[in-house]
Amino acid sequence: MSLQNLSIRRKLILITMLTSSIALLLSSASFLIYDLISFRHLLTQDLTTQAEIIGYNSAAAMAFKDEPAATATLSALMVKGDIVAAVLYSPDGQMFAQYFRNDKTLPAFLPSRSQEKGYRFEGRYLEVWHDVTLNGERLGTLFLQSDMRQWSTRAKRYASICLVFVLISGFLAFLVSSKLQKVISGPIVHLEDTMRMVSAHKNYEVRAVKAYADEIGSLIDGFNTMLSDIQHRDTALRGANEELQTRTRELEEEISHRKQAQDELLKAKYVAEEASRAKSTFLANMSHELRTPLNAIIGYSEMLEEEAHDSATVETVQDLQKIRSAGKHLLALINDVLDLSKIEAGKMSLHLETFDVSGMIEEIVTTLQPAIEKNRNTLRVHLAEDVGMMQADITKVRQILFNLLSNACKFTDHGTISVDVDQSTEQGQDWLRFRVTDTGIGISAKQKENLFQEFVQADTSIARKYGGTGLGLAITHRFVQLMKGRIGVESQPGEGSSFTVHIPAQVKLEAVGPVQAEGDSDASDAIVEVKTGRDTILVIDDDAAVRELMSRFVGKLGFNVLTVASGEEGLRLAKQVRPVLITLDVVMPGCDGWSVLSKMKADSELSKIPVIMVTIVDNEPRGLDLGASNYLIKPVDRERLAVLIEKHRLNRFTTITRTNAVPVSRLSHGHKHGKVDAEVSGRESHAKNLTSRR
Amino acid sequence: MRRLGLLITVAMVILPSLVFEAHAQDSSVSSEYLIKAGFIYNFANLVQWPANAFTQPDSPIVIGILGEDPFGTVLDRVLAGKKVNGRIFLVKRLKSVTDLKECHIVFVSSSEMAHLAEAIHLVKGMPILTIGEIPGFARRGGIINLVLEDNKVHFEVNVEAAKEADLNISSRLLALARIVQEPAADGKKTE
Repeated sequence: MSLQNLSIRRKLILITMLTSSIALLLSSASFLIYDLISFRHLLTQDLTTQAEIIGYNSAAAMAFKDEPAATATLSALMVKGDIVAAVLYSPDGQMFAQYFRNDKTLPAFLPSRSQEKGYRFEGRYLEVWHDVTLNGERLGTLFLQSDMRQWSTRAKRYASICLVFVLISGFLAFLVSSKLQKVISGPIVHLEDTMRMVSAHKNYEVRAVKAYADEIGSLIDGFNTMLSDIQHRDTALRGANEELQTRTRELEEEISHRKQAQDELLKAKYVAEEASRAKSTFLANMSHELRTPLNAIIGYSEMLEEEAHDSATVETVQDLQKIRSAGKHLLALINDVLDLSKIEAGKMSLHLETFDVSGMIEEIVTTLQPAIEKNRNTLRVHLAEDVGMMQADITKVRQILFNLLSNACKFTDHGTISVDVDQSTEQGQDWLRFRVTDTGIGISAKQKENLFQEFVQADTSIARKYGGTGLGLAITHRFVQLMKGRIGVESQPGEGSSFTVHIPAQVKLEAVGPVQAEGDSDASDAIVEVKTGRDTILVIDDDAAVRELMSRFVGKLGFNVLTVASGEEGLRLAKQVRPVLITLDVVMPGCDGWSVLSKMKADSELSKIPVIMVTIVDNEPRGLDLGASNYLIKPVDRERLAVLIEKHRLNRFTTITRTNAVPVSRLSHGHKHGKVDAEVSGRESHAKNLTSRR
Repeated sequence: MRRLGLLITVAMVILPSLVFEAHAQDSSVSSEYLIKAGFIYNFANLVQWPANAFTQPDSPIVIGILGEDPFGTVLDRVLAGKKVNGRIFLVKRLKSVTDLKECHIVFVSSSEMAHLAEAIHLVKGMPILTIGEIPGFARRGGIINLVLEDNKVHFEVNVEAAKEADLNISSRLLALARIVQEPAADGKKTE
């Protein structure tokens, strides 16, 4: 156990005892030394006096050379215990008389001759030299030697007294310091005990008792203050802990509740998804089921109507027209509902292609010609010079404009409908702006609010008066949004409306998907040999009614028509006949339309022949992907079909590239051939002005 | 044997310092008188005369030799130049007993054995230290008698006679002496 690690109690005792012992030893030693020195001086004086007396007494004996007398005088020293030797020397230095305490023989250390008078210490002995004189005459020298036994005895006694004294006082100091150290060590030990109790039992309510108002007292005060601080914090911490636990429990409950709710929600979601799938399936089935009969109704009513022009009464013609019109309305309704449900389901996808804007406008105008003429309206089309190609979903752009123009025609009587197209650059992006303006009944501010919402027409009375599903603008709006464009309307009731649509010149797909670069119908740069006579069109469809209708319709356009009922037959015939155009159904027994299309496009002989898909299956992207030139959904819009066929025929006659020449045709409703407008270059300096003939 | 050795030693000690000339000149003079001359000097040292014994503080101590002089020149030489209490010594050879009164010390020679009583009687009551070498000299009224025993010189002192002569003899001298008394006076008998 090292000295530093002793307990405070022991340290205090040790310090006290050490201090007192050192002080005591020092004082005793100095006293002892002083006493011994002075005692030695005393001894010296004593011995000198002794020498004087002896010298005096032996002077006569020396004078009379009485050696026995001198010896007798010296023998008187017997009573002095400490004198070991006494010698009288004659003046010539010879030994005259001597006395030895222990032995009569001469000790070896005795000087043989006399020396200078005075005293000196030789080893343990004190020696005195003294002149013996008689009446001032020196008769000899006396030598006395003392062993200083008194001195050494005294020193020994003193030392032992000191030792005993030191021991006793040390013991007393031990007793006193043992008692007194408690004044200091007591409070410290108490403090330590308290501290150990606190740390061992974590009991912060214990307090140390302050005994005195000294440094240790303030230490204890500080310790107590610290303890109470800790106690407060401990209590607060415990409270916080409990609160935390409560909160945690609450949270856990909350979480389990939420988990339950989530599970329920998930179940609900599965149910909802299942329901949605069922709905979609139902809709798809229903659309197919609805369209098939409609196809027949519209087709045959058209055929009958045409035939009735020549033979039947006016009433019959009018009745047939009503049937056709109602059928078309029903078809439009069904299409709109299906489109909307697709949009709602997020299944409406964009099929991007690059196309010529003017061509598209041309098509629409041609298609809408009857509607324009119906209310005796005038159509003005204006294309800005810089409007050329755009990349977008042509079907949707076409439908947007078609809807807007249909509405304009519907709500305008004896007025003017204008279509303005131009190009601008906003925010580093090229935009195409389509503006459709009419001079019709207009829209009130209140009506504008719900203009683009589903199933809401401007006025319920309008539905009665003008008909329509009320879905047109809603679908238009959604299509514009799909292509990241925007639509706006300005209108004054009674003064007409102006719809403006902005669509990016380069519409981008959000997600990575199949991008159809270009339609084959436009991409055909090849020079096709111009055949003389009527060209052949091959119709492949398993539905006999369709075959008959198509055959009649296409025949009227001035083409030979070949019809086959199966894909295999179609392929075989196509190789034999090399038709200028093929219409192809999808759903057929045996080899379906997709595989027929793939085989044609894979065959180098047939790959150049344009194929128009005419089908009930609504999957345009797939058809275009496989190489179809156009995609028409049954019931076939015969006017649009006519436009497409005409376009493809023109392609065969003229060597064109898409960038510098665009066919512009003027079609009459009389199913005659259009002709090439020679004023193509005029488009570059003037806006085209298309008006109907009738 | 030892005594003889000591004597020789003593002679060797004293002779060179005191009586070199005597020793060199007159070897016939025994060392006995050389020692006796030294004794006389020492006696003068250890005896105190009354104040009236001297006329002057530095008056010489007069030593008178009565009878035949056994010293020769030894005594004169030993005392030459010596002083006791500032007094020098003056040695006289006395022709008649009347000269005794001028002396402080009187050495009575052994030749005066016949006239011994007369001489003692003459100096009685006077502060004169009488020294003799005649057996029984002190016992017969002399103060100090020198005795030769075993070749060594001893001396006897008659303390009563010294008191009568008003002489104060030092105790240190008495310690070395044999004290004798006159048997006729008080009947006491000593050695």
